Amino acid sequence: MSTVLRHYEIMVILDPELEERTVAPSLDTYLNVVRNSGGSVEKVDVWGRRRLAYEIKKRTEGIYAVIDLQAAPQAVAELDRQLRLNEAVLRTKVIRPDLH
Amino acid sequence: MAKPTSTRKPKKKVNPLDKEKITYIDYKDTALLRKFISDRGKIRARRVTGVNAQQQRKIARAIKNAREMALLPYTTQTR
Repeated sequence: MSTVLRHYEIMVILDPELEERTVAPSLDTYLNVVRNSGGSVEKVDVWGRRRLAYEIKKRTEGIYAVIDLQAAPQAVAELDRQLRLNEAVLRTKVIRPDLH
Repeated sequence: MAKPTSTRKPKKKVNPLDKEKITYIDYKDTALLRKFISDRGKIRARRVTGVNAQQQRKIARAIKNAREMALLPYTTQTR
């Protein structure tokens, strides 16, 4: 495992039927993958409910969250994989802002 | 489209990004990106927006990312 840490930004859309205040703690448990691999979580920003531009899984709304972190590529790939396994996660996106 | 413009000279456009001093085009900034899409949700051409080629590429990238995350529509209304 290489130790290169990179800055990533991950956006997650969650099922609107979740309790909004449970979102941050449950996301945090996922983020242990990053912490245990030597990365660090810089910011977790829960936007809250927002109308979707189009339906996803028959939902017209979603709870948006944006996570800023420093991590190794493998750790981020694993985090993304685990998030996608969760039924309550409608969509995820991993971005490296430095490349843009 | 080029209309028969005998009397009209092309208007000099100001680059909207340089004017606002924006360097990083964030796909989360839907207010900004909405200036670069039509009512239908289509990406506006460079000759309309007046940005340079590099910026247009970044705008297009950002709009497509925003669409994937349902921040912007792929299309609006029925054709």
